[in-house]
Amino acid sequence: MCSDSVLVMEIKSGNKKALGKLVERYKTSAYRLALGLVGNRDDAHDISQEAFLRVYKSAGTFDQSKPFLPWFYAIIANLSRTWLTRRSRTENRMVELDDVSFLLVDESNPEKNMEYRETISRLQSALLELPFEDREIIMLQHFRGLSYNEIAELLDIPRGTVMSRLYYARKKLARLMSDKS
Amino acid sequence: MSNEIRKLLAGYVDGELTESEQAKVEKALRENAELRAELEEFQKLKEITGRTTYADLPDEVWESYWESLYKKLERGIGWIFFSIGAIILLGFGLFLCFKGLFTDPNTPLLIKIGVSGLTLGVVILFVSFLRERLFAYKHNRYKRVKK
Repeated sequence: MCSDSVLVMEIKSGNKKALGKLVERYKTSAYRLALGLVGNRDDAHDISQEAFLRVYKSAGTFDQSKPFLPWFYAIIANLSRTWLTRRSRTENRMVELDDVSFLLVDESNPEKNMEYRETISRLQSALLELPFEDREIIMLQHFRGLSYNEIAELLDIPRGTVMSRLYYARKKLARLMSDKS
Repeated sequence: MSNEIRKLLAGYVDGELTESEQAKVEKALRENAELRAELEEFQKLKEITGRTTYADLPDEVWESYWESLYKKLERGIGWIFFSIGAIILLGFGLFLCFKGLFTDPNTPLLIKIGVSGLTLGVVILFVSFLRERLFAYKHNRYKRVKK
């Protein structure tokens, strides 16, 4: 299997099949990362596709000595920020209720999960009200299950900063959730 | 409560601390009720988020994902060629138009002055627009991707 860097180099020379391989490898991750940032499935789908188009257009700027994922994540985060800025300019930031349902209760224990639905609904609203950087760190640790080292590499920040950002993000999230209860 | 302990509390909840860091947090937890309340709050959050998953897209969307992406890619390339061609043709057309207008001795001076003013105005507006976009790009605090 080709490494990510090799695929990006092939993309740089215009190889669309290489882009296809990269898409197969990362389409789900790209969608979920974007979903965690923008909280809307349709937007997350569009952002993930736009991110791959950016990879195709900007493959020449990719530094082969560095890993692919942080570079790709920066593209997704950048697009998500732009998306949110545009959305806040054009419409109410809180989207329609149907669109907000980007989180689902794990269905492994349906009976017990009934009591969680209300809590999950509050969690969704609270997440959408968090500042971008806080939502980002919560998404990476809580929903993507990344270790601190992985988050540090992805965001290009020290491990200690991951810890402090998580502390303050969790405090804000807990406060927002209790405000809604 | 120090910022250091607060920071470590996040790592404690996620099991990301070294033994000595963990001992430091546990000592602080024994001594500080506020910290214990925060720990409980964070553990509750972890429990709630641990019971959720992201809503996935329907299968048919995933099946057509590459196809729709490929169409967008082709369209993008098409637009680039279209734009290049349009700029060349428009530029050449304008050049011929101006050349004919200014070299023709029968063209009234007023028309020549009017066309010159119009052209100069368009050029100034275009440069001003470009400069504004460049300024916005340079001062974009969210700029994280090199293009």
